[in-house]
Amino acid sequence: MDGGSIPAPPEPVTYLCGDCGADNTLKPGDVIQCRECGYRILYKKRTRRIVQFEAR
Amino acid sequence: MKKKKVKKKIIDNVNNRQQTHQPLCIREMEFPIKSTVDKYQLLPAFLKVRGLVKQHIDSFNYFINCEIKKIIHATGNEKVTSDVDPNFYLKYLDIFVGEPCVEQDYIYEPITPHQCRLRDMTYAAPISVDVEYTRGREIVVRRGKEGKQEGALVIGRMPLMLRSCRCVLSGKNEAQLAKAGECPLDPGGYFVVKGTEKVILIQEQLSKNRIIIDTDSSGNVAASVTSSTHERKSKTNIIVKHERIFLRHNTFSDDVPIVVVLKAMGMESDQEIVQMVGRDPKYAGILAPSLQECSALGIHTQQQALEYLGVKKLLSCLYTGLLGVLQVDEARDILATVVLAHVPVHQFEFRPKCIYIAVIIRKMLEAMLNTDAVDDKDYVGNKRLELAGQLLALLFEDLFKRMNGELKKSVDMTLAKANRSTQFDIAKCIRPDFLSNGLEHAISSGNWTVKRFKMDRKGVTQVVSRLSFIAALGHMTRITSQFEKTRKVSGPRALQPSQWGMLCPCDTPEGEACGLVKNLALMTHVTTDEEEGPLIALCTTLGVEDLSMLSGEELHSQHTYIVFFNGIILGVHRRPQRFAETLRKLRRAGKIGEFVSIHVNPGQHSIHIASDGGRVCRPLVIADNGVSRIKEHHMKELKDGFRTFDDFLREGLVEYLDVNEENNSLIALYEADATPATTHIEIEPFTILGVCAGLIPYPHHNQSPRNTYQCAMGKQAMGNIAYNQLHRIDTLLYLLVYPQRPLLTTKTIELVGYDKLGAGQNATVAVMSYSGYDIEDAIVMNKASLDRGFGRCIVLKKSVTALKKYNNRTADRIVAPDMNTSAKGGVQVAPRHQIQDRDGIAAVGEMIRPGDIYINKQSPINTRDNVMNPQAMPDSAYKRTPQTYKGPPGECAVVDKVLLTSNDENHFIVKCLIRHTRRPEVGDKFSSRHGQKGVCGTIVQQEDFPFSERGICPDLIMNPHGFPSRMTVGKMIELLGGKAGVMSGRFHYGSAFGEPSGHADTVSAISETLVNHGFSYSGKDFIYSGITGYPLQAYIFMGPVYYQKLKHMVLDKMHARARGPRVVLTRQPTEGRSREGGLRLGEMERDCLIAYGASMMILERLMISSDQFQIQVCTKCGMMGYYNHKLKIALCTYCKSGENMATMKLPYACKLLFQELQSMNILPRLQLSEA
Repeated sequence: MDGGSIPAPPEPVTYLCGDCGADNTLKPGDVIQCRECGYRILYKKRTRRIVQFEAR
Repeated sequence: MKKKKVKKKIIDNVNNRQQTHQPLCIREMEFPIKSTVDKYQLLPAFLKVRGLVKQHIDSFNYFINCEIKKIIHATGNEKVTSDVDPNFYLKYLDIFVGEPCVEQDYIYEPITPHQCRLRDMTYAAPISVDVEYTRGREIVVRRGKEGKQEGALVIGRMPLMLRSCRCVLSGKNEAQLAKAGECPLDPGGYFVVKGTEKVILIQEQLSKNRIIIDTDSSGNVAASVTSSTHERKSKTNIIVKHERIFLRHNTFSDDVPIVVVLKAMGMESDQEIVQMVGRDPKYAGILAPSLQECSALGIHTQQQALEYLGVKKLLSCLYTGLLGVLQVDEARDILATVVLAHVPVHQFEFRPKCIYIAVIIRKMLEAMLNTDAVDDKDYVGNKRLELAGQLLALLFEDLFKRMNGELKKSVDMTLAKANRSTQFDIAKCIRPDFLSNGLEHAISSGNWTVKRFKMDRKGVTQVVSRLSFIAALGHMTRITSQFEKTRKVSGPRALQPSQWGMLCPCDTPEGEACGLVKNLALMTHVTTDEEEGPLIALCTTLGVEDLSMLSGEELHSQHTYIVFFNGIILGVHRRPQRFAETLRKLRRAGKIGEFVSIHVNPGQHSIHIASDGGRVCRPLVIADNGVSRIKEHHMKELKDGFRTFDDFLREGLVEYLDVNEENNSLIALYEADATPATTHIEIEPFTILGVCAGLIPYPHHNQSPRNTYQCAMGKQAMGNIAYNQLHRIDTLLYLLVYPQRPLLTTKTIELVGYDKLGAGQNATVAVMSYSGYDIEDAIVMNKASLDRGFGRCIVLKKSVTALKKYNNRTADRIVAPDMNTSAKGGVQVAPRHQIQDRDGIAAVGEMIRPGDIYINKQSPINTRDNVMNPQAMPDSAYKRTPQTYKGPPGECAVVDKVLLTSNDENHFIVKCLIRHTRRPEVGDKFSSRHGQKGVCGTIVQQEDFPFSERGICPDLIMNPHGFPSRMTVGKMIELLGGKAGVMSGRFHYGSAFGEPSGHADTVSAISETLVNHGFSYSGKDFIYSGITGYPLQAYIFMGPVYYQKLKHMVLDKMHARARGPRVVLTRQPTEGRSREGGLRLGEMERDCLIAYGASMMILERLMISSDQFQIQVCTKCGMMGYYNHKLKIALCTYCKSGENMATMKLPYACKLLFQELQSMNILPRLQLSEA
C-alpha cells in the first residue's frame, strides 16, 4: 500500500467530464461543471493502485 | 403444379442446408411465397407506426398539441378578470409546450432524458402562453415567435413523455440515440421525474356518456349514465322501485318519479310520453304505474312538475331563503345542465333530453321483458382506457384553473389598494412553480386529486421496473382497473370473450390483483379523441333524420334505427345497413378518421358511431366475399419498402375495428377458413398475446396457468436491461454476465427486440433424476458450467450522497481520508479509509468490503444558529457522517462508478455504483420459459455428471416429475427444437398457434432434422453415468432449453442469528433481516409445543432467549416494587415496606404491559404461589 511514509505532494484529484472526457479538477465550493464543454456530470477516474481479483 | 412445388421445396431444403451460415435476410427471400398470403410482414410495419407504447405517446402528443389548447380556450379558463377593476382582463391567446430544457444560472440549457436520470432532475419543457392583458390604460400583447418561448409568458414546466413529439429523442436514428445516452430499443412512453422513471398506468373505466342497463342487488333493472363533459361530470341513475320508474341523482334529495321529470322538461301529455317510450301495449303496461303515480301527485303541467322538483332538490346554499319562482328556475337549471349533462340543452330546449330519457326507459323496459338485453359491464366494448394524456389533461386543467384563481386573487388585492407606487403588471405575478410543482408532484407520488370532479386516485403512476428489458416493456402495456381488489366478485376478474385480440389472455398477476390488472395484446391500439363536428355533419348528409322533427311513433318504428353518436342521439335512419356501409366505405377511403367505429345493433334498433378516445381497437385485413384484399404483390411491395402500414390503411386493405364493430363482422382466422360471409381476416393469430406471453415458445401446447406464471417470471429474469445499461445508475440493477438469445425464438421475440436484449441462457438440460437433491423442482447444476459463466450475474447497487446545505449557510463537506499514526511514527491511512482517494471519495475499481467508508463526509454540528464564517469553520465544528458500505459479510464488491454532479437546485450529489459479481449457488432461483421454476439443489462436479456418447454433458439436470402434473408440453418441444436448432445451425420458431402459418416448426419437422443429424426422433439420448461409467438403463431426454435466472438469490435472503440487537421499548429481538432480526417462534409453533407438552421449551423460547427480566413483587398487594441498591433490599412503593417482597422472572414485554395498564388506571395484581 502506498498510503504512508512519503509526504506525497498533494496532487489534486482529477475528474473526467461525462461528455467530452476532459480532465477537471474541483475545489470545495466549485460548481460541478466541465471547464471545456460545460457539461455538469463528472466521473471519478479509475484507481491507479493494482487491484487483484479472485477468479472463481 | 403440385409437383413443381414439391420439387421446389426439395431444392429449397438443399439450399437451406448448404447456406445455413448465411445471414437470415437472404434466406428469407429464397422461401417461396405461399399460396395464402403471408401477412406476417404487416406486423413489424404496424409496430413501427402503432401499438405497444405508441398509444401512450399518441395520447400525450394529442394532449400537448390539441387538448391543452382546448383547455385554455374553454369558457371560464380563457379570461382572468377582476372584481375590482372592470377594465382589467388577461386573455390567453395560445399555449405552447416547448423543447425540454432547464434553467441554470439564468441560462436555458437543453437537457436529455439520460442527463435527467443521472442528475435527479425532471425531464420537462416550459409551457409558454401568448397573452393579451391590460397594464394601466394600455393593452399589452405578448406573443412567442414561431412557438418559441422568447417573448411568450412561461407559466410552468410540463414533464415530458420520452419519445413524444417534444422529446429530444423523437425522430432520431440509432447513432443519434446512442449519442444522447439512450437505448434505441427502449420504448419510451414514461416520464423522468426527479431522476426516477415513472409510468402513468393505463386506467380502465366504464364508458362515459353511454347508457348502461344493469340489474341492482334486488334484481330490478336500473340504467346508469355517467355524463362527462369538459365542464361537468355527473352520474344519473334511472331505477325501478315498486314497479315504478324513478330518477336518482345526487342533486335531488330523494328519488323523483321519471314522469315528473319528463313533465318538467315540457313533455306534459301522458300520451306523448307513452308514444316516446313505445306504443306497444307490453311497454305501456309497465309504464302505467309510473304515470298513475304522477297524476296521483297532482302534477299535470310543467310548472307543477318544476315546483315539485324544486322542493326535492338538495338545498343549495345560494338561494335558501327564497322560495317560489327561484326554486322553479333552479330545478329547470339542474335538469338542463346537471342531469344527463352530456346531452346538450340550448336555451332550455329540452326535446333532445326528453327523447334521451325516453330511450333509456325503453331500453329498461326491454331489459325487464327480456333479461338478455341487460348490458354486460365487463364487456370490453363498454370500457374505456384512460391514458397518460387524458389523465394529465385532467390534472393540468385543474391546476390551470387554480392558478387563474390565485391570479385573480392577487389582481384583486393589488388593484384594491388605492395608490400604488408602480404600475401593476400581471405578467410579473405569474408564478410558474405552481403548475410545475403540481404536475411534478402528481407524477412522482401517483396521487391524482382533482377536487372539481371529486377525483382522488392513488397509485396512478409506478416506477418503471428495470429488472429486465421485458419488465420495462411489459410495464408500459399494463392496465389497471378502478375496481376494488377486496370485492369478491368474479365478473371483472374473469376472462372476457370480447377481449380477444385486444388484451392478453395470459398476462395477469396471480393473487389479489388477478384479472384486474391486464396487459395489452401485441396489435392493440387505444384511440384518442377525434373531431366531432364534421362527423355529425356527415351523418346528416348521409340521411340521418334530425331528432327535433320526429315523434315517438317514428322514433320506434320497425324500420328506423336510432343513430347514436358518442352516446348522444343524433336522429334516426331508415336504411341502417346502407348508412353503416357508406360510413365504412368513407372510412376505408380515408375520408373520415381511421378509428371511427360504426356499430349496427339490430337487437336494439340502433347504430352507434364512436369517435371518442380510449377505445381499444386492432387492425384486421378486409375481405370481400371472403377473399382477402391483400394480395401477394402488396406484401412484396411492403417487403421491398415501397409500402408502409399506413398505405395499407389508406388503400382500404386493412382497417381498425373496435370491440363493438367486431360484432358486425365475421372474422376468419386464416384465409383458407374464409367463407363468402367473411368480412375480415386476422393478420396473425399470435397477436392475441401480449409482450410477455409472446416470449413463450409453443404456448399453445402448455397448460394455461403455466403461461400466466411465465408472464410473471419473465419480468424477474436477469439479463440485459438496455444498450445503455452500463451508463445507467439505478438503485438496483441486475445483469447477466453472458446473456444469450434463445435458440427457440418466436416472432414476437424478434418484434420486441428480446433477441437483442435477452434475459437468459441456453442450458443443455437432461431430464432425469439425479442425487436426490433434485426433488420438489430443484435442479442439479454442473460445476464446470458455472465456472464457464452459466448463470453468473452482476448486481449493481447505487448509493446517493447529497451534500446538504443548511439554513445557517453551513453545509456538509467531504474531507480527505482519516490518517492514523502507526506505532513506528509513520502516518498511515486509516484501515477503513483505504479505498478513498485524496478527495475523500472511493476510487473507481477499488475492492470494497462491508464496513469500508467510501465517502468521508462530515456535517456541521450546529445547523440552526448563525455562524460567523460558514466557509472557514474549524474541524471541531463538524461531526463525521461517513457513508459506510453495508453488504453481505465475507463478500467483496467493487466500486464501479462514481459520479459527481449537481441537481437543478444546485445541490452537490455524489452517486456511487457498487458492483458485485455472483456465480450461482445452492438456493438461487432459475426458471425455464414455461412457468417451471426451481432452485438450485446442488452443484456437482462435471466428472460426476452423466454424458452422452458424443461427450455432451448437460449444464443442469431437471427432475422428470416436473412434467406430468404441469403439462408443459411446450417445454418438451422447446427442448426438441433447440436440439435440432443446434445441430442444423438455425434458430427454430415456436410462435403461438404458428404451425399452420409456418411461424412454428412442427414436431415432425424437428424430429426429421434430428434424425438427419443422427439423433433419435424423440430427442432421447444414450447416456453414461458419470459416477459408475456404465450406460444408464433408460434413454435420457436431453437438449437445450432457455433458462432464466430470477432475481431471487439466497445471498440476499440468507439470514440467521444467535444473539443480536433488541428493540429498545420491549427488549425483544428485532424483526427482519435488514435489522439482523430474530426468527419468530409464532403462535402456531407455540401451539405445537403446547400440544406436545414441552413447557420448558416454551419458557426458554419465549422468555429466556428473548426478553427475560427480573422484578420485585409485593406478595401482599400484588404490585411491582423495586430493588434499592443502597439499602440492598427490595421495596414496595405501595406498602412502603420490604417485608413481603419476592423476586421473579417474566418477559420484559409483560412487565411493560402491566405498567402501561397502570398508566391507564387499570391495576393488574400479581398473585404468586410456590413453584
